[in-house]
Parts: sequence; C-alpha cells; structure tokens
Amino acid sequence: MALDNLKLPIQLISQGDVGRVRRELKDLDDFICQANLRQPGTPLKTLPKTSRGLSDFAAINKINLLNEGDRESATASLNDLIVRAPVVHISFAVDPSAAFMAKIAIWFRDKIDPLTLINVGLEPNIAAGCTLQTDNHYHDFSLRQHFYDQHQLLMTMIKGEAAR
Amino acid sequence: MTIWWLAAIIIGAVWACIGFIWQVMKLNRIETANNKQGFDQLTDGASKDVEHIFNEEFREELRNRGRLHFEKIIGENAMFLQQDLRLTTSQLNDYMKQELSSKLHEEFAKYEESITDAKQLAIESIEKTKQTIEEERVKLSDQLQTEVENEKTRLINRFEENMADIVNHYVLAAIGKQIDLSDQLEYILSELEANKQAISEDIKHGA
Repeated sequence: MALDNLKLPIQLISQGDVGRVRRELKDLDDFICQANLRQPGTPLKTLPKTSRGLSDFAAINKINLLNEGDRESATASLNDLIVRAPVVHISFAVDPSAAFMAKIAIWFRDKIDPLTLINVGLEPNIAAGCTLQTDNHYHDFSLRQHFYDQHQLLMTMIKGEAAR
Repeated sequence: MTIWWLAAIIIGAVWACIGFIWQVMKLNRIETANNKQGFDQLTDGASKDVEHIFNEEFREELRNRGRLHFEKIIGENAMFLQQDLRLTTSQLNDYMKQELSSKLHEEFAKYEESITDAKQLAIESIEKTKQTIEEERVKLSDQLQTEVENEKTRLINRFEENMADIVNHYVLAAIGKQIDLSDQLEYILSELEANKQAISEDIKHGA
C-alpha cells in the first residue's frame, strides 16, 4: 500500500501509537503463522488482543488482517509511515485528554498533512496555550510567551499605577 | 678691670712716696756733706740744733703727714677711679644695651620677615591645596553622581525586569491550574490557524 493512499485513524496520533499498532500487527501476524503451522490436536495459543487503533486502521484502509499479503503491506506502510511521516512535537501545561488530542490531530491532518504524527509533551510553566516544535522551528503559542510579548505594556501599567 | 687699675694706682703712689723719701734723704745727705766740709763746726752745732729740730718725733710727724697725704691722694684717685669706673660701666651697659637691642631688633625683624614669608608660602600652598582638593571634590562628585545615576538606572531596569518576571510568574502560577485545557482549545486552534502557513512550510519544506 502506497503511503499516499494511507489513511490514519484518529486513534493513531503519535509515533508511539503507530509503533504500538505495528507491534500488535506483528503479534497478530506471528499468531496466525503459528496457527497455520499448528499440528492438529495441539493447543492453540490465545489470540493476541488488538486495540481499537489497529481495528480502525485496518477498517479505513480496507485491510483484511487475516490476509497475509494485506498484513505485510500494512506493516510496510506503517514502517514507511514512521520514517517518512511529518512529525510535530506539541506541549501543553497539563496532560491533554484523548478527545482534545483528537481535535488537534484532526486540525493538523486537515490543514497541514493527512499523515501528521503528533508527539505530546508536558510543560507546566507555560500555564496555558501550547508550544509547537518541528524539525526546524519552535513556535510558542503559550500564555507565558504572550506575557513576555506584553512585557512593555505590563511595565507601563505598573509605572502608571505607581505614579498615581 | 677695676682691681687692676686700683693696684696700679696704689703701686704708683707707693713709688712716689719712696721717691719723695729718697729725695729728702738725698738732700739731707748732700746738705750734711756740704756742711761737713765747710762748716764742720757749724755743722756740729747745727747738727745738734737740727737733731734737736728734726728729731725723731718731728720726722715721725712728717712721715705721718706724708702718709696721710698719700692716703688722701690715694683715696681721691680711688674715688675718681671709682667714678670713672662707674661711668664707664654705665656707658658700657648702655652701649651693650643699645647693641643688644639693635641686634635683637634686627634679628627679630629678620625672624619676623622669615615668618611672614613662610606664612605667605604656607598660605599659598594651602590655597593651592584647597583649590586642588576642590577640583578633585567636584570631579569626584560628578563621577559619583554619574555612577549613582547609572546604578539607579540599572537597579530600576533590573527591578522592572524582575518585577515583570515576578508578576508573570505569579499570574502563570495563579491561573495556570485554573484554566481547563479544553477551554484553551479554541485559542490553540486559532493560534495554529494563524500560523498555519508557517507550520505547513516548515513541515513540508523544512524551511
């Protein structure tokens, strides 16, 4: 499956999520291989658990997980995705919820790139807003930065209050 | 000085007395010798009369008179000498007083002049020192004023910076935990939207 045709479910936001899905896919692949090699009468191993991310990934990309070729194709796509997908690192003052991150991811995939992966970080001292870091740039959309930008206004107000 | 003069006068008076007696005796011997040749007989008779007139008492009387006269002369001379000596001493004292006084006046004048010069020199030196100190004081005062102004400006700037940081930190700490992240979604999305172009360029082209 070509990377251009690949679609990412909303559950796959970060590189970690993609890596986890790839691992689940490999586990599933191993299980199915072992099941095929199993001698009749021998006990069957427990089916590995699959996450909703893998299920949605397979669903929206029309991948039959029972098909070996589809699994190989999906694994290759995920490997390719980890290497080539645009990655941004975004930090918040508190740990964001999954719903919140889903909205952020939707915005990035709608407005920037459909395969954008978002790594989430924690930066409590920014108070509010977020900081965004790409491979080459650092964008600060935090309240802290806003205060720094308004430093002169703050000083003017303090001086005015002191003079009054 | 007085004793030497007195001794010289006394010695002179003694010599005069001895000379006088010697003359008297000489005359007496000459007269006796002359009378001896011509008038031995008269001499003998006269000598008896002479012996009778100029007997030992009479000669003793003459000696006493001479002695008294000599003492009188000695006394008068001593008195004159004493007066002269007193006068000389007085004049000498006056002279010494005048000399000493004039010398002292000269020395005092010189001393006073030296003191005046030294005083003037000291005053000039003090004036120069005062002027230099005043210049240094003014310079130091200006320098100190500048330093104080600079320090004041630096402190104010630092205070303002710290003040802004303190206020920022306080506000961030105060409201940081009060703002729900979901409430920030709109703000964050608007910021992302505002910088969409830059983010897109950055991600796609790595610019």
